[in-house]
Order: sequence, then C-alpha cells, then structure tokens
Amino acid sequence: MTTAKELNISPVGRVEGDLDVKVYLENGVVTRAHTQAAMFRGFEKIMHGKDPQSGLIVTPRACGICGGSHLYCASSALDVAWKTTLPPNALLLRAIGQATETIQSIPRWFYAIFATDMANKKFANKSLYPEVVKRFAAFVGTSFQTGVVASGRPVEVYALFGGQWPHSSYMVPGGVMCAPTLKDISRAHAIMNQFRNDWLEPVWLGCSIERYMQIKTWDDLMEWVEENESHRNSDLGLFIRAGLEFGLDKFGQGVGKFLAYGTYLHKDLYNHPTIEGRQRAVISAGGFFDGQNYHPMDQANVSEHVSHSWYENQADGLHPFNEPIPNPSTDSRNLENSDFSGKYSWSKAPRYMGHAAEVGPLARTIMNANPANLDHQIKDPLFGDIIRKMGPSVFTRVLARVHEGPGLFLKINEWLSQINLNDEFYIKPKERDGEGWGATEASRGALAHWIKIKNGVIENYQIISPTTWNVGPNDGENNPGPIEAALEGTEIEDPHDPVEVGMVARSFDSCLVCTVHAHDKKSGKQLAKFKL
Amino acid sequence: MSFLNAEEPTVIELVVDYGINILWHPTVGLEIGHQVSDLLNDCISGKTQLDIFVFEGTVIQGPNGTGKMNYFADRPMKDWVKELAHAAQYVVAIGDCATFGGIPAVPPNPSESTGMQFHKKKKGGFLGADFISKGGLPVINIPGCPAHPDWVTQILVAISVGRIGDVLIDQYHRPKTFFTDFTQTGCTNAAAFGEKIDGRFGKRGGCLFYEVGCRGPMTRSSCNRILWNRVSSKTRSNHPCLGCTEPEFPHHDLKKGSVFKTMKYLGFLPKEVPEGESKLAYYIKAGFHKIMPSPKGLKESSI
Repeated sequence: MTTAKELNISPVGRVEGDLDVKVYLENGVVTRAHTQAAMFRGFEKIMHGKDPQSGLIVTPRACGICGGSHLYCASSALDVAWKTTLPPNALLLRAIGQATETIQSIPRWFYAIFATDMANKKFANKSLYPEVVKRFAAFVGTSFQTGVVASGRPVEVYALFGGQWPHSSYMVPGGVMCAPTLKDISRAHAIMNQFRNDWLEPVWLGCSIERYMQIKTWDDLMEWVEENESHRNSDLGLFIRAGLEFGLDKFGQGVGKFLAYGTYLHKDLYNHPTIEGRQRAVISAGGFFDGQNYHPMDQANVSEHVSHSWYENQADGLHPFNEPIPNPSTDSRNLENSDFSGKYSWSKAPRYMGHAAEVGPLARTIMNANPANLDHQIKDPLFGDIIRKMGPSVFTRVLARVHEGPGLFLKINEWLSQINLNDEFYIKPKERDGEGWGATEASRGALAHWIKIKNGVIENYQIISPTTWNVGPNDGENNPGPIEAALEGTEIEDPHDPVEVGMVARSFDSCLVCTVHAHDKKSGKQLAKFKL
Repeated sequence: MSFLNAEEPTVIELVVDYGINILWHPTVGLEIGHQVSDLLNDCISGKTQLDIFVFEGTVIQGPNGTGKMNYFADRPMKDWVKELAHAAQYVVAIGDCATFGGIPAVPPNPSESTGMQFHKKKKGGFLGADFISKGGLPVINIPGCPAHPDWVTQILVAISVGRIGDVLIDQYHRPKTFFTDFTQTGCTNAAAFGEKIDGRFGKRGGCLFYEVGCRGPMTRSSCNRILWNRVSSKTRSNHPCLGCTEPEFPHHDLKKGSVFKTMKYLGFLPKEVPEGESKLAYYIKAGFHKIMPSPKGLKESSI
C-alpha cells in the first residue's frame, strides 16, 4: 500500500535567514520538494537612488559569512562601470581577501555546520559511528574545537589588510584602501603557517600539503586513504571512510548542471577591468558544465524567473541589467499555507541558458578539471574524474568543499610573496555613469553584482547570490531549483527525524536556517515531533 | 558568524567554562524544525528558564505591520521576538539591525524594519520605550556592524558571573565599558589627526578624517582597544571608520557624496567635527595646526 506523506521542514539550515522546506513522501521516498526562502530585506531597493559606492558598505553586510565575496563583486562592478586601472598589488590583495574568507569557511562549515549531522543517531549502527561522534559532536567533539579555533586564523590575515572580518570595505574601485608594510606581509605568512601546523596538516590531512596535492583521480584518493594510519585516521580520512559507509554518496544528486563564474583575477591580466576581459583573467576558471560538456561562462546567459517568487510586475527570464527594482508582494504566506502552484518564496529562480544550475565548490572543482583551462589557471583533474565515476551527491559536494583547502593555502602564500611593497595599491578613478558587472566565487558558490549608475546615483543594483541559485524555487516552466531537485528521490528513514533533508540542504551550504514539521498528507494529522 | 570569532572568551569557552547553555543558535543549534518551535514555546511558557534572550537582525514588520516578510518556524518572527523578550530575564540586542534598525531600516525601509528598542536615534523601536525585561533592565544594546564578538561574549560573561549591576548603559543603551571612548582612542594615526596630515587610500600614514570620511572622532567604540580578529582595526589598516556603532549608521542614509568622502562646506570645512567641539572652535584650532609645521617624524611612513 502506498503511503503518501507531507513533511513541512521549517528552520533546515544552520546559518542566516530562514529556509523552509516541504517534502512529499511516498513509501519513505521524497517525490517532490519545495523550498521557501522566508525573509525579505530589500537591499537592492534600499540602494536605488543612493551614492554609487553604497554597494561597498551595504552588500558585504548582506551576509555574515560571504562579506568579503560581496565586496569583491561590489568593487569589481564599480571598476567596470568607472573604467578604473587596477595595480597588480590591488588584484593580489583582493584575491588574498577572497581566498582567506573561503579557506576559513572550510573547517568552520565542516565542523560547525555539516559534520555534526554525521553524529546523528540514524548512523548509530555503523562501525565508524563511535569515532565520528568522538571527533565531530558539536562543542565536545575532539576535533570540533580545534577546527573552529583554527578557522579563525585565515581571517586574521584578512583583517591585517581589511581591518576586520567580517564586514570590511577595503576593496574600492581603483584598488584597495590599505598599503601594507613588510611587517604585515611577514605576519600574514606566519599566521598562515600556524593554520597549517595547528590544523591543516596534522589534524585534517595527516600528511603534507605537497603529498595531498599529488592526488589526481578518485583511485589516487582511495590509495591515499589506505596508504597509512596517519591518512586513514586524519579527519579527512575519517570523513571519506564514514561518508561512504554512511551512504552519503547515495543521495542528494540535484540537477546535474553546474555553473561557476570563476575568481581570483590575475595580477597582470585584469588591470583594465571589462566584462569581456574577465573570464580569461580568472585563476580559478568559470564555466557551465551540462553533465557531459563544458561551455564558456558568459554573464549574458544569466536570467531570473519570478513566477513562483513573491515579486510583482516582473516578466520571467530577464537579464539582471533589465530587471526592475524588486517589487515585493504583500501576499507572502508561511509554509503550511503556501500554494506551490503560485508564488511561494522570497528567492527568485536564476537560470543559465534557461537551466537551473548548481553552484558551489563542486561546480568550481569541476571547472578546475576542464582540459581547456589556460596556463595561468588552476588545472586539477580530480573532480572531472569523480563526477564521471560517482556523480553528484551529498558526499561529493562536501568532498569538493574540503578539497579546496590545500590548494588555496598554497595560492595565498604565492600571492603574498608577489606583493611589491614599493608599487601602488590604489589609483584614484574618475567617477562616471555607466554599467558594471562584478563576480566571484564565494565559498558557497557563484556570486555576482550588476550595477547601473545614472546621474551620479545607483539606478539599478542586482545581486544574485549562490544561495539564490541553489535554494531558488521552481521557474516559469515549473522546473525545480537545485536543492528542490536534490531532495527528490531521497529516502527518509524516519519521518520523525528527517536528517537526510537537513544533510542535503547543508551539503549546498545554503545560507538560510531551515525548519521541519511533519504531517500525514491523507489524514492531515501531525506526526510526532522529532528529536536528535 | 562574527560570534564564532570571539577570542576572549571563545564561544566554546562560554559553553564549557562559564556554564552558559546555548539553548539554540541558528549556526550551531542542532535542533531543526519542530524541535526549535518546541524549545521556543517552552521558553515562552516558562517550562524552560530563559536567562538571556540574544537577538540579532532587525525586527521585520512588513508588509503593513503584519511581519509576513519574515516567517520563522511558521509564525512572523516578530511574534516570537515579543514573547521571548517578555519571558527572558535579560534581553540583549546584537548588531545594528537589532539595536537601531541598521541598513534594512534605511529609507525607503522596504521591509518596515526596526530595532528592538530604538529606531535609529529614537527610543521606542519594536518593544517600546518603556520595555523592561523581568530582570529589571531595558534591552542592552551591543551595536556595530558587526558587533565585535568579544563585546558580546564579555557581556554574557558579566551576566553569568553576577556582574549585571556593573553593566552601566548610556543613552542608547550601550554598555559604557565598551562605548565611552571614541574609535579614535588607540588609532595609530591619532597623531596625524592632531597635526592635520591627510591620509588617503593606498598611502601609508596620515589621518583619514580629512578626505575619505573617517568617523573615528565622532564614533564611540573600543575598536582600537579590543582589536578585530586579534590583529587590527579598520583605521589601523587605512580604512575609514564608518561609524557603525552609532544609531544613524549608515550615516546620511547613503546619499550621494556621503560614501568614503568627507562632506564639506565651501570645499574645505568638514561638515561634521569631532564630538563635543563647536564647529567654530574646531575650525580655528584646525586652521592653526594646518599652517604650523608638523613634527618631521610624523611625515615619514613605515614600510
């Protein structure tokens, strides 16, 4: 007999803003899911008519986690609009800011947000469960404190150049505000070295960064795990072994299409910022991967749908430059009262060439494996191999995120060593009207800002965040967004404790807090409340 | 997220060493869904004792006062906030959004956002000017965008070790221990301010008050006493203070010409002068310093 159930999941994420998820169950399997972003703030509306540099102050504050990434976009968008000249030092210090924000997020996200779910009793019958609980349990796990404390180190480097993390505005059109001295650069090297010695090598890898960087394929990775006790028992070794034992590679597939804008503009290749010149100047490549083939990234292919979003008077499929200032509906509802055939989320539904696309570390690492990448770009075949052999899943998504750490560590040191203390850090630009686009890869995925300046004030400011890409609702053709798609087919072992739903949502690192309530669809009866 | 950067004490020490039981936190909370609403309801009913209610973010009242622009666990967030504030011994608002309304409350304030007990400079906000929590205090405001994580954890420690009586607050309900001095106190360029030596972006040394809109002399915060991320502060890294611990941040509502520029009369007289000085007295003193030679050492910048 078929049993159909409805789960309303409201508080699923563990971060900022609120995300509600409704899943429809048949025989314990999710057949359809709807995600609801439950908060409207209207930053784009606030910036309309304001000083053109407002985005430098406002947008980093859109998110407590990706502030540096927003700043990278806001300053880049103004660089394009104002036709600035950027000295190499400025491009290096911006890249270092972006990279330190991203690398801090790896241990912080893994221990504080993702791994605590692996200590859920759902996995209690697995052989590695006791070890997982011992290390990853919230607050008391033996690695939890080490990892969370270590995560504070890289952003100390950010603070040396930006004054503080989060919420600095040190990247400005024409360069950066700071003019660091030798003592700042030396201190930055020393702090990064401590991050490696305190956590990255001994706790996380169990080997040197150089040894880890030799891994090129899934088989290499498996050999690395089994090579010795140090690798097996490192936190990465444990995550890989437990992730496979717990079956995290078996659910959370998603739309199978991936988008990255790429980031880290090369110090000598983006001194005269333009939209057209950006993609070949990035060190971590952008692109669109349709599951089979790579396609070049072009921001002109981005559009947003609002058929299922609480915005009025807007057509589907508009490019951000052509979108109106958001016009919020007054008819928003809570999850239980929402009509999913109509509008049901504050998130818009971004599309690339009309497709929903997953953004994030998995998308980035897939682009890093593109054989067409240029000489100055990262060439790392690992996730090309993994995506072919295993496909996307909660496991591969998390693995991609943590895989970026060692490579980023090396890049940060390389960029620090390239700063020329006697050269410029800022070239004062001439303000003018115009259009600009700035983009980056936030730790959780593709982020971009579009700005139009007219009569010396902001005419239009549009932000598409990685969370919008991933948590967005259905589009005008009723095709699901990436998390909605990733939930479909997920087996929920215990509808009273649907940890699988939380794990899928968290594997995307959506920056929203999610909630769960369970209802039997037929009787309307609320299922017993669940506890961890 | 800034909260997890706290150093003295760290969030983990707060839990492990000071016996602060974090019932729920959006980042580090383990509960999801109904577990969260059950917990909150237990706090409201008194079944679970809520010693300190810490709130971050604006109170969203839109559209038209309904709060439907921000649902949380099935209800408008503002309804949870009201009930929890009345159930708690002490209420602490963290960050500019929760204290004064912050950026979301900048006109046209599309989400009808306000602070817990202030709207910008005006007392009242969401809970009303007369609100007093069960412990006998109004909302304790720890502003800043973000609030320094150590300001947050230190106030929580003060409450947990029984020093709530020493938490004196100013007219904007800010703990005086952090918000009496100005940001400029401890700024490494304070001497350049006195000597009227200009600083600019990408340049070492000089004071950012004159050209790029630094608000260090008008802003009360301990940013240059308790450093950020242990290592620096905005002004120490040549970043103008934005005045984010003051109720009117972002200042001048981001109007044209107000961002990273010192607004001036006649092209040279700063429109805003250090707090506590009359404009005329400041202009006379500043004019005098400007024409007098500065100590040579101040003009050399380190490398």
